Amino acid sequence: MMRSRISENESLKKAFRDAYAAKESEKTGDGWQSAVMKRIRRIGPLTPASNFLPAFEHFVWRLAPVSCLLVLVLTLLFVNMELDVDSDYLGTMAAEMERPTLVELFGLEG
Amino acid sequence: MQKDSLSLSDAEIVRQILDGDVNAFEFILTRYKVQVLKIVKKHVPNEAAEETIQEAFVRAYESLPTFKGTGDFSQWLSSIAVRTCYDHWRKAYRSREVPLSALTERHAQWMEQLISQRSEESFDELGSQREAREILSWALGKLSAENRMVLELVYLEGLSVQEAAELLGWSKANVKVRSFRARMKLEKLLRTVKEQGRRA
Repeated sequence: MMRSRISENESLKKAFRDAYAAKESEKTGDGWQSAVMKRIRRIGPLTPASNFLPAFEHFVWRLAPVSCLLVLVLTLLFVNMELDVDSDYLGTMAAEMERPTLVELFGLEG
Repeated sequence: MQKDSLSLSDAEIVRQILDGDVNAFEFILTRYKVQVLKIVKKHVPNEAAEETIQEAFVRAYESLPTFKGTGDFSQWLSSIAVRTCYDHWRKAYRSREVPLSALTERHAQWMEQLISQRSEESFDELGSQREAREILSWALGKLSAENRMVLELVYLEGLSVQEAAELLGWSKANVKVRSFRARMKLEKLLRTVKEQGRRA
């Protein structure tokens, strides 16, 4: 059998809600209002928000489909190039490494 | 002739402030101080309320250039107030300055008694809100800042997920998940209190 939830008990929930709402009527001082205005005068007049970021964001979103399309086209092109990546890469590496290594280590020249 | 501050719309006052009239912010302060004060006092302890309300209004002032005149200013300001309270708790939890009150047998008994009552009227007979407030404060102190805020807004204030999401600036899904987790944690904490009462 499922246990009933304590937090959903109506009496307890009401007690919690009443206690929470009662916090509204707690007294606070009045000094904060002048303190706010003092801080605001210290900050001084505001400069209007720059429109650069929203404009840039708009631009980025406009370019998003084009970028996706470009990525797709490049991927297709790459897949269709039929490069034998492993042998090409290893062949180049072997050819490049052989000569300098022998020359450097043993001073042998072909 | 300058218009009376009472007849000025929020958008007009915001325009004046953005045009460089810093003192026009006092109209905003006068118009919305009760609303913001109510929000802040509910979410943060009384001793931190003054500092938090100052912070909320200063943030609102600094954010005025981003206010789109077409929206509801009151809602916009409430959202800033709620987020300032959230930041208060984030800071407090980070620096471990959350007061953790201890509960006694009295609290457990009070809760047990209240839960076993059948009618809602009986709650009034059980006396003050002190126990409720102390248990609540103890339980909220054991939650994270996120869970605390969402529990206060949804469970204690009865706001909808949509409303809470707008105030906190979170997605609805995030509020739903948080709300569920926070309630589960609250449930666990309340069960501990109840168990302690039985053992005593």
